[in-house]
Amino acid sequence: MTTSVKEADGKFYVTLSGELDTATAQEAEVALQPLLESQGKDIVIDCTDLEYIASSGLRILLGILKQARAVGSRVVLKNVNEVVRDVLDLTGFISIFEFE
Amino acid sequence: MKNIRKNWLTGLRIVVIAAVLVEGISIVQYESLRRITLEDMNIRTRITLGAMADEISHTLEMTEATMRENLWMIRARLGNPDDMFQAMVYLIDDNPQVVGGCISFIPDHYPSKGRLFEPYAKKEADGTISVSQIAGPDHDYTLNQAFRRALETGVPNWSDPYLYGEPPQSLTTYSYPIRDDDGIVVAVCGLDMDLTWLGEYLNSNQHLKSSFAIMLTEEGKLVAGPSSEKIPQAEVEKAAAALSGNAMDVYHRNYAIGSVQMKASPFWQLAQVYRTREIMAPILKLRRQHMVLVLLGLAILFFMIKRFARSEKELRIATVEKARIDGELTIARNIQSEMLPKTFPENIYGKIESALEVGGDIFDFYRRDGQLFFCIGDVSGKGIPAAMLMAVIHSLFREISKREENTVTILHALNDQLCQGNDSNMFVTFFVGRLDLYTGKLYFSNAGHDKPFLLTGSAELLKTKAHLPLGVFPDTAFEEQSCVLSPGDGIFLYTDGLTETKSPARENFGRERVKAALDACLAQASMTPGEIVDSVSKAAHDYSENAPLRDDLTMLFIKFDPGEIVRDRLTIVNDIDEVSRLSAFVKDYFSRIELDRKAAYGMRLALEEAVVNVINYAYPGDETGEVTIYAESDRKEIRFTIVDSGFPFDPTSVLPADTTLDAIDRPIGGLGVHLTRKLADSVSYSRKHGNNVLTLTKSIL
Repeated sequence: MTTSVKEADGKFYVTLSGELDTATAQEAEVALQPLLESQGKDIVIDCTDLEYIASSGLRILLGILKQARAVGSRVVLKNVNEVVRDVLDLTGFISIFEFE
Repeated sequence: MKNIRKNWLTGLRIVVIAAVLVEGISIVQYESLRRITLEDMNIRTRITLGAMADEISHTLEMTEATMRENLWMIRARLGNPDDMFQAMVYLIDDNPQVVGGCISFIPDHYPSKGRLFEPYAKKEADGTISVSQIAGPDHDYTLNQAFRRALETGVPNWSDPYLYGEPPQSLTTYSYPIRDDDGIVVAVCGLDMDLTWLGEYLNSNQHLKSSFAIMLTEEGKLVAGPSSEKIPQAEVEKAAAALSGNAMDVYHRNYAIGSVQMKASPFWQLAQVYRTREIMAPILKLRRQHMVLVLLGLAILFFMIKRFARSEKELRIATVEKARIDGELTIARNIQSEMLPKTFPENIYGKIESALEVGGDIFDFYRRDGQLFFCIGDVSGKGIPAAMLMAVIHSLFREISKREENTVTILHALNDQLCQGNDSNMFVTFFVGRLDLYTGKLYFSNAGHDKPFLLTGSAELLKTKAHLPLGVFPDTAFEEQSCVLSPGDGIFLYTDGLTETKSPARENFGRERVKAALDACLAQASMTPGEIVDSVSKAAHDYSENAPLRDDLTMLFIKFDPGEIVRDRLTIVNDIDEVSRLSAFVKDYFSRIELDRKAAYGMRLALEEAVVNVINYAYPGDETGEVTIYAESDRKEIRFTIVDSGFPFDPTSVLPADTTLDAIDRPIGGLGVHLTRKLADSVSYSRKHGNNVLTLTKSIL
C-alpha cells in the first residue's frame, strides 16, 4: 500500500495504490491526515492502482468526505476499477461520492 | 337433482372440516413459534446486556483503581490540611471519567479548620480544575448517606446515581474511607463519575426500531434510558415499573422485557424492552401467507367436489361414490407430490410410490452451509388427514432446520408441535440427518423410524438408537449420533412400505431381502442413485408379483461424492496486524483452487471483514486470543469456518447497515458485517463447545 498527497492549483491530488486492507488502513490514515485540514480546497483521489479496499479503507474515505463537506469542498474519485466499484456500490458509497 | 344437492352438502361439509383442521394446526403452530421467538429473544437479550453490564463494571473499576493508586498520596499529606486541595486536583486529573472529587473529614478533625472541612475539586467546562471548600451551614456532609455508610462500615461504596449541578448532570459517587497511620478512619474521599453517557451507550445499537434499553438501581429506580426524542418518557417509566425476575416477561400485552443484574457492587440492573408487535412481525406474516394458501386449497377442494357432483348426473350412485373417493385420493396424492423434491443432484435420488389409498410418507433434503439436511418419515394413518399432517411436518422441518443444525433440536421442535392438540393420536416415525459435504461427517437422530442401510463395502444397517416416534409423548428424549462416510459411501433410507411388501404367500419382503438387493447393486460397479433405488423397487415388486401396493413405498438414496477437496487452515491472534497474514493465506488458497479474480476479491473481503470483527470484539480488553480460519472447497463452492473462543457473539443478529443515508448522516463503522453478508451466499453462526463458529459459503460454479 502506498499513498501520496500533492497540492497543486489549489487542489489536493491523492494517489492510492496497492491493497487498502485492515492492516494497512492505519498507516494510510496517517498519510492522509493533511486532507482533514483541506480548508475549502477540492480533493481528487486517483484510484487507478487501488486493487483492494476493505471497510476500514471506506471509513477513511468517509472521514475525508465528511470533513470536506463541512467546509464546502468536493471529493472526486478517479479511475476506480471494477471490483472496487462493486464494493462502493454494495455499501451505497457510490451515491455519496463524485466520480471522474 | 336431489342427489346433486346432497353431494353439494357433503362437499361443503368436507371443506368446513378441512378448514377447521388446518386452522387448528395453524394456531398451534403460531403459538409455538411465538414461544420459541420469545425464548430466543431472551437469550440474545441476556448475552447483549451481559456484555454491556461488564463494560459498565469495567468503567467503574477504572475509577476504583484511580482511588487505590492515589491513596498513598492523600495519606502522606494528612498532616497538612491545606495540601488536601492539591491532592484532590491530582486525583481527578488522573481519570477522564471523573468530573469532581472531595475529601470530607470527620467533624473537628483539624482544630484550625472548624467543625466541618471538605476540600473539593471540580473539572470546569474549559478543562481547568477549580478547588473550593464546600462544607458549611447549608451543606452538612455528615448527613450524607454515602459518607455515613463509608464511615460506619469502613468499606468503600458506590452511591445510587443522582442529578447534580447546573445544567443537571447524572453522577454517581465512589466513597472511600481514608485511614490515618493508626488505622482510624479520619475522612471519606468521594470521586464523582459522569453517567450522562449511559443512556446513549445503552441505546446506541438497538436492533429494532421500537426497542430500547434502560438501567435501574438495585431497588428498581430508573437511572438511564433512551432519549425522549426516541421513546416517550411515559413508555420508559412503564417499562421500569414492569421489571420483574429474569425471564422474558410480556407486560401490558404489547411489550416484552428481559433483564440482567451487574455481577459486582453496585448491583444495578440493565433491562431491554421490545414491542412484541415488532418481534412477532415475521411470524404474523408467515401466518398470513399460510392463511392465503389454505383458502386457496379449500377453494380447489370445493370446486373439485362440485365437479364430481356435476358428473354424477350421468353416473349411477356406486360410480359416484367411487369418484368421490378417487377425488379425495387425488387431493391427498397432490398434497404429497407437491411437497416432494422435483429435481435431484447427481448424488441423490428418492421417490414415493403411492398406494391406492395414500399414506403419509415424506422425504426431503436441501443444502445449507456445505451440509446436506435430509429426512424421511411415515405418518400413521392414511388419506387426507395423513397427507395434511405430512404437509405440516414438511414445512416445520424446513423452517426449523433453517435455524438449527442439531438433529436432536430439530426432533424436539417437531415433537413439541405434534404433541400439542394431538387429539387424534396420530404419530410419525422420523429420521433426520445432516451430512457435512466436505468432511463426510454424518450426524443423525432417529425417532422410531426403520434403520437405514449404510453402503460401504457392503450394505449394513446403521446402528441407530431406538427412540419413540414423534407425537407420542411431549418429553421424549432423543440423542444425536454420528459417523464418518468415506468418499463413495452411501446411505439408503426407506419406509416400512418396502420391508412390509407382501408375497402372494403373505410373507414380508423384510430387511434381509433389502440388504441382498443393495449388495447386488454394490456388486455392479458405478450404479447411479436412481438406478439403485429403481433396482430395489423392482426386487420388491418382483417379490409381490406386482400386486397393488398396500402402503406407500418410499426410498431415498444419498451418495457421499465430494470430489477433490482442497483444504487449508490458518491460526492468528487477535491483533489487526495479523490481517496481512490472513491476506497472504487467502491469496495463496485462491490461487490453489484457481478462483477467478472477481470472485476471489469478494470472498477475500467477506472473510476479512468477518475476521476483523472477531479480532476487534471477541476478546475483552487486552486479552490475547486465537482465531482459526478453515478453508474448504470442492471447486463448486467455498466454505470458510471461523472459530474463536471469545465472548458469545452472533454477528448475523446485527441489523443491516443503512446504505441509503447521505454522507453527513452516515455513522463511521458498521459496514463490515454488512459487506460479509452481501458478498457471501450464506453466513451462519453457532456456538459449539464454548467456541463461536461462523460459517461463510459461496458458490463458485
